[in-house]
Amino acid sequence: MNLKSLLLAGGALLSGTAASAGGYQVTLAGQKNNGMGGVGVGLSLDQAAMFYNPGALAMVKDRGVQVGVNLTLARNAFVAEGGNQQRELRNSYTTPLNFYAGFGPAEGKFRAGIAVYTPFGSKLQYADGWEGRTSLTDIDLKSVFVQPTISYAITDQLSVGAGLVVLAYGAVNLQRDIALPDSYGHIELDGKADTKFGFNAGIFFKPSDKLSLGINYRSKIDAVVKDGDVTFSGIPASFSSRFQATKFNATLPLIATTSIGLGIMPNEKLTIGFDASLAQWSKYRVLRFDFDQQINGSTSSESKRFYEDALTFRLGGQYKLTEGLTVRAGGAYDQTPVRDGYVTPETPDNDRLSGTLGASYTFGKFGVDLSAQYVGIMKRTVTQTELLNNGTTDRIAGTYKTNIVIPGIGLNYAF
Amino acid sequence: MNTFLFRKFTPLAALLGLGITACQPDLEDDFKPNKGSADFSRYIAVGNSLTAGYGDNGLYLEGQLNSYPNLLAQQFRTAGGGEFVQPLFTEAQSNGSGYLRLTGFTAAGTPITASVPGNAGRLTPGSAPYTKVTTPINNLGVPGIRLADIHTAGYGNVQTTPLNAATFNPFFERITPDGSNQTYFQRVKAEAATATFFSSWLGNNDVLGYATTGGVGGIITRTDSFTLKNNRIINVLTANGAKGVVATLPDVTNIPFFTTVRVADIRARFKAANSALDVYIQTTGTAGAQVVRLATDADLLTLPSSAVIGTTTTGSPFPVGAGVGTGVGQSNPVPNQFVLDATEQTAVRTATTAFNNAIVTKANEKNLAIFDSNAFFARVATSGITTNGVTNTAAFISGNLFSLDGVHPTPRGYAVIANEMIRAINSKYNASVPTVNPNDYRGVRFPQ
Repeated sequence: MNLKSLLLAGGALLSGTAASAGGYQVTLAGQKNNGMGGVGVGLSLDQAAMFYNPGALAMVKDRGVQVGVNLTLARNAFVAEGGNQQRELRNSYTTPLNFYAGFGPAEGKFRAGIAVYTPFGSKLQYADGWEGRTSLTDIDLKSVFVQPTISYAITDQLSVGAGLVVLAYGAVNLQRDIALPDSYGHIELDGKADTKFGFNAGIFFKPSDKLSLGINYRSKIDAVVKDGDVTFSGIPASFSSRFQATKFNATLPLIATTSIGLGIMPNEKLTIGFDASLAQWSKYRVLRFDFDQQINGSTSSESKRFYEDALTFRLGGQYKLTEGLTVRAGGAYDQTPVRDGYVTPETPDNDRLSGTLGASYTFGKFGVDLSAQYVGIMKRTVTQTELLNNGTTDRIAGTYKTNIVIPGIGLNYAF
Repeated sequence: MNTFLFRKFTPLAALLGLGITACQPDLEDDFKPNKGSADFSRYIAVGNSLTAGYGDNGLYLEGQLNSYPNLLAQQFRTAGGGEFVQPLFTEAQSNGSGYLRLTGFTAAGTPITASVPGNAGRLTPGSAPYTKVTTPINNLGVPGIRLADIHTAGYGNVQTTPLNAATFNPFFERITPDGSNQTYFQRVKAEAATATFFSSWLGNNDVLGYATTGGVGGIITRTDSFTLKNNRIINVLTANGAKGVVATLPDVTNIPFFTTVRVADIRARFKAANSALDVYIQTTGTAGAQVVRLATDADLLTLPSSAVIGTTTTGSPFPVGAGVGTGVGQSNPVPNQFVLDATEQTAVRTATTAFNNAIVTKANEKNLAIFDSNAFFARVATSGITTNGVTNTAAFISGNLFSLDGVHPTPRGYAVIANEMIRAINSKYNASVPTVNPNDYRGVRFPQ
């Protein structure tokens, strides 16, 4: 259950941050990009290229430091199948962060940098006593990636780059209620992920001042939690012998993403970007937890996910109104990786449409970036019949609807 | 710069506040309750112990509060339903008729139950009656009543000389005025005069008494009599245009009363003690003769047999149920009243099918909603039922659905039944009555 929850948690994180392509991938990585529908693979806007396309870093003129923070405010409504009572989350928020520092010679062909971003994370706290309480009551997933990056401009038009992606910090906390014959107990799974490595590589091609192209690949990393803590509460003495586990292991695939991007610059003031991404969610088949001792007769739990690969399309642009002020707008369409009949409370997911706005103001070497996003996750219904047909009755039938608002602010300094 | 930031942020903050408010999705309009073509303003429930909320071998306040009619009425209230009065035991008499509670398990895992004495009166036909409720009521469930009993005069009027114990029902007495010989049918007719909606689930006891006594006690009601009385009660319920739901009768051989104590398990137990032993039972042979024979896995042993099997009997070298042969003195067979053999099971199933045919035929004639409890409980016995992620089965104690008597549902079981009836009602009358969350209702209560 824990692993499953972890996986689900990832999905929830994504939805919570919502700027990206379903599942638990988050692309709130750059405050400028956030205002432009999340485009960036085919652009060389700023140091956040380390995330979107390391190949474009060598084409970013400025060297500099930038930091950004976002506030994700997810609001969810749920009505169980056959019911009429709307459940709403105990509202919470997350604050995905990003930090970039880029270095290199002023006129050289090299750029190097370090990126820190939070590509996964989610927090959902369901209403007390809600119908799905035995599937999930609370999930809190956090991760921090650190990525040393280098980029090299082979010609004035073509550059490549790559980064070593380090899962520097990952933490999961999953809680659910346990159904006993005449009461409910509670289980909490809390663990930290091992440090793991992957890579992020890209190619950037700018054949003219008016056109740029990019391709980016981020590899899969398996987030592995070993010896996480299992804590039971509210289990009456009559049942305590059946709930003996103290440790759990689980693995969550942080899937690979392939993206292509296009940038069009009709004039010096206007930049338009278009990205398309394929997230290889089909690697997420089951969520499995292994326990050191039995929980209600079993030392493991396995729950079907059977995700499918999903596409995301983003479109956004920026316009330089004055020397200091730039405004942005954009939107995205994300396919959900969650198939009909497999929706879980951890990831009450569906296709999502988002709209974004942004603005930057620069004062010499300083700049401030503001962004705001509204993400609408389409209404999603999962029926008991579907759950029975798929063997997924470990979750609940009903209808979910989630909206997310994400304001963000970033500061940057160029040198 | 500060001014700029302030100018920049103030509208943004305002926008953000608006955005968050507008952000909360609202699904309630999608799931508005609706009565469809039904009218739930006065709902009455007709039936037996199941309708009264009986469980754990007794009728007590908690069971009454969790009766399926009470749950239905609670849900009907979201769609125009009115007040629903039950003949509740008071808090001071909340133990009602008395009931069973679970006190623990033996080392072998066999449940141990104890009796909680009743505190509402009428422990025997000779003792003081239950405190009466003679005002108009909506729940007319009378534990123990057979469809065959609906025209029995004096069914709720105890006589002492001679004692009319065979045709007297203390639970009907509770809702009958002193000295009245009114029949159940007459009482239903009076309440039906103002009812706009009804549920009817009668007939279980017309076969159950025979089954639970291993075919020894109780008789199966004749099908023609069953059909006639079923038609009469449905006619009177629909006489004023009320709509309603009727339930079929479950095949009782699927319930824990008959599936918990298994011949195969007893055999294994005996053989572990002595490999020469096997399980022997007493059954009714041709022409009513009592015969002893080797038990097969097709023979069903009743739940109460577990208290008898394996105990010692004065004068017999074998514990109850054990033996080495069918000859005189070669075994100590399980007494007939604890065994439902293949012939008896066939009699039960044949009657259940015939009764259900009568129920369905009449319901269709009146265009009523039908809860096919027979199909439903057969499905539960085969594959269980998952309620909002929680697994429930027909297993005794652990299955959540059946109470400690192995026959009557737990509050969870009654909630599941209420939901199935709501589905049938919604489908028949194009209504949208919301279901309950069965997980809010307990299974078997464990010792604290």
